[in-house]
Amino acid sequence: MKSKVDIAIIGGGIIGLMTAFELAKRGEESIAVYEKRYIGSGSTFRCGTGIRQQFGDPANIQMMKRSVEKWKTLGEDMEFPKFKFAQTGYLFLLYSEKEVENFKKNVQLQNSYGIPSRIISPEEAREIVPGLDISEVIAASWNHTDGKANPFLAVYGLSRALKRMDVEINEYTEVQEIMVKDSRITGVKTSKGEVKADIVLNAANAWAKILNQKLGLDFPIEPYKHQGIVTEPFKLGEIKPMVVSFKYGGAYLTQKANGGLIGGIALKYGPTWDLTPTYEFLREVSKNFTKIIPALKYMSIIRQWGGYYAETPDHNAVIGKIEEIEGYYLAAGFSGHGFMLAPAVAEGMAELITKGHTSLPLDFYDPYRFKRGELREQAIQMG
Amino acid sequence: MRIQEHPILDFSKKRGRKVTIYFEGEPIEAYEGEPIAEALHAAGIRILNYTHEKNRPRGLFCAIGKCSSCLMVVNGIPNTRTCITLVEDGLRIERQHGSQPLPKDYKPPSWKEAEKREADIIIVGGGPAGLMAGIKAAEKGAKVILMDENPLLGGQLVKQTHKFFGKRDQFAGVRGIKIAEILEKEAKEKGVEIHLETSAIGIFQVGEKRMVAAIKKNKKLMEFYGKAVIVATGAMEKMIPFENNDLPGVYGAGAIQTLMNTYGIEPGKRVLIVGAGNVGVILAYQLLQAKVNVVAVVEAMPKVGAYFVHAAKIRRLGVPILTRHTILRAEGNGKVEHAVIAQIDEKWRPIPGTEKRLDVDVIALAVGLRPSIELLHQAGAQITYARELGGYVVRHDERMETTVRGLFVAGDSSGIEEATTAMLEGKIAGLSAALFVGKAKPDTYEEILQAQRDLDEFRSGPFGKHILEGLKKVMIK
Ligand SMILES: Cc1cc2nc3c(=O)[nH]c(=O)nc-3n(C[C@H](O)[C@H](O)[C@H](O)COP(=O)(O)OP(=O)(O)OC[C@H]3O[C@@H](n4cnc5c(N)ncnc54)[C@H](O)[C@@H]3O)c2cc1C
Ligand code: FES
Repeated sequence: MKSKVDIAIIGGGIIGLMTAFELAKRGEESIAVYEKRYIGSGSTFRCGTGIRQQFGDPANIQMMKRSVEKWKTLGEDMEFPKFKFAQTGYLFLLYSEKEVENFKKNVQLQNSYGIPSRIISPEEAREIVPGLDISEVIAASWNHTDGKANPFLAVYGLSRALKRMDVEINEYTEVQEIMVKDSRITGVKTSKGEVKADIVLNAANAWAKILNQKLGLDFPIEPYKHQGIVTEPFKLGEIKPMVVSFKYGGAYLTQKANGGLIGGIALKYGPTWDLTPTYEFLREVSKNFTKIIPALKYMSIIRQWGGYYAETPDHNAVIGKIEEIEGYYLAAGFSGHGFMLAPAVAEGMAELITKGHTSLPLDFYDPYRFKRGELREQAIQMG
Repeated sequence: MRIQEHPILDFSKKRGRKVTIYFEGEPIEAYEGEPIAEALHAAGIRILNYTHEKNRPRGLFCAIGKCSSCLMVVNGIPNTRTCITLVEDGLRIERQHGSQPLPKDYKPPSWKEAEKREADIIIVGGGPAGLMAGIKAAEKGAKVILMDENPLLGGQLVKQTHKFFGKRDQFAGVRGIKIAEILEKEAKEKGVEIHLETSAIGIFQVGEKRMVAAIKKNKKLMEFYGKAVIVATGAMEKMIPFENNDLPGVYGAGAIQTLMNTYGIEPGKRVLIVGAGNVGVILAYQLLQAKVNVVAVVEAMPKVGAYFVHAAKIRRLGVPILTRHTILRAEGNGKVEHAVIAQIDEKWRPIPGTEKRLDVDVIALAVGLRPSIELLHQAGAQITYARELGGYVVRHDERMETTVRGLFVAGDSSGIEEATTAMLEGKIAGLSAALFVGKAKPDTYEEILQAQRDLDEFRSGPFGKHILEGLKKVMIK
């Protein structure tokens, strides 16, 4: 482990790794990532894999548009073609006039940024996903350029690329303290020793608050337990897009590349550090999923797990330069949609760190909005 | 083929009513009380499904619901474990080709709340350990519920036709099948509530109680609430790597015993056994009892692992035990037709020129077991590796309690040993759980101590040395 680096990144999740990748691509030569367990072990490996541009505000729409462009070429970019962005779409099932009204507004906004989303009929929805029960569905919001990606392959591909680019990845290395002198970053104190650094990025998501508090900083990011399930595999292609139903449990579900179903519902516990899977979740998942696609009642759930949503009051992340401490940056609190945002966030962060500014709308995620009482409209959050 | 005559077992009495099932449209005769895969095997059908990626044929492997090698489409429902799903008149059964499409069903199910049952102690697994735990806990006045995913109680005992060693009060000289009957009768007399064909799917904390969620007969969700849970889920056969080790006809030793001793079905005509430990050698003897030819027993180690008397018996009956030999590959079109074996050197490499091609239709793997710890792991109990005990095992203390308060373990799921130690561990777990839930009187400690002494005594022999080494890694002081 090096004793001095230019940029120290705390957290080996998708945000930390992707930012390291963008920095290295820009010619930064001395970067290290510190991960307290193994890379991906935080929320990244526990996520629902969904990637969508169907948001309800300009900033998230633009960020996601950029992300999708980058997800599409990530396999080539990291020279790991096995990684593929599955552009299979997102389908929101709508059950009431009010829901349809809201989604129409969102679609209009999305269209104005060039996202080809549209409102479709229940029959069209059924053509996309044959197993749907559409007896209560009155319309659906559909965007075929949304999709999903495998977080294990993404992290593996990134780690290989980073090693090639001489970025140091330190696993089982916990950052215990961020070192500061005269309001300037001087390095990090890890469980394996001290490292000098000029710049520190806190990408510890659910755990970001712990290090912030030690510095006397207060940004509202709290860990909530959400859960996911996977079923045994069935024939590929039956549920291509991510299907979302706010009426039935806030459920989201899709088929993975191996044919198993992955998904979850909006049942959360917290703030808590406990990740024990609950029976309540298992039962509610079964109840709600079978309302959406009845034939799922024949499929067995083979895994269930808990993971953190690092939630903020407006469900938007906290990203930016920290004014109190020179050289300190924060990108955390992704509230359940950090995986999809990672490529654009990483690009924005890399630009911010290397150039001091970015063309991406990172301002939207301004860490100081809470203090000023300028909360954003709640981002559309699933699960 | 069905076994008509057997020196110990009388299948004409055991078999239920005749029913007709339909395999890919063809009618097949079966008997009520036997599982689908076993009935198909009796009709000569060995290929049960084809794999997803490589389209390789697969058949039975464990025959006790633990390996998913027997998945088929039953009445339109894919992924059914046919080795533990009982036949019913008129059942439609199809081979599964890779992942199946979702059944065409557009009607949302009406959600039924789970059936709830409550007791002091919930036991998962109805083999010797689970049954003994149930009996002992119920004896102390605890209300006990016991579930097993197989259609019969007794676990691996129901297929053991041989007589047990050990002390008199530990069923010495009694055949396994008989022990199973005695335990079952006793458990029922003591009022243990029994749920068969019921698979536990998870152990959860719900308020103050522990809840075991389970699925009955592949359909019905059940919730079993209790203050303590005992997991006695047994073990599963290990697989070893060799070419075509997935060919139908490569069976776990236990699966062969199930076919032949529980359901009276001939596993094949000519068998090669891999592994000369007690399991392999006893299996050889049982096959001979059922008039099945045992071509050879191969053993990689230089010495036979089984008890001397067992090994001597099969040698007397003309079965060669080839030490320092291993299996190189299975051959056959859709089913085992030949096995190629060879001698190996000190570094376990096959010696060129020693290959032999044997004419066999069954290859029995008796190469060890690994504990079934999935439920314990899911429930949060600490797991550790102990090669001597079969691999990953759960940590526990002298009273069989795991690192999770109120969660106990017994039998092979706490480390691979045998039925006698399983029963002793079951006794300890049952009594300890009864104490834990406040049903047993303090003098129960004396009984626990006695069972612990019996265990120590049983393990003091040459076979126990190994086990004690393993236990050192596992025991919580
Ligand atoms: C059930 C579930 C479903 C989800 N579904 C989706 C989805 O469909 N689409 C989507 O975009 N997002 C989804 N998410 C959210 C997504 O997983 C996260 O937003 C994303 O992974 C955040 O990435 P990250 O790198 O910020 O955080 P993490 O992946 O949590 O990475 C942070 C890392 O920091 C490490 N760390 C913390 N403290 C320290 C320290 N002091 N020293 C060193 N290392 C430290 C942690 O171990 C961790 O590995 C879901 C989340 C869950 C739980
Ligand atoms: S699960 Fe049926 S053979 Fe193993």
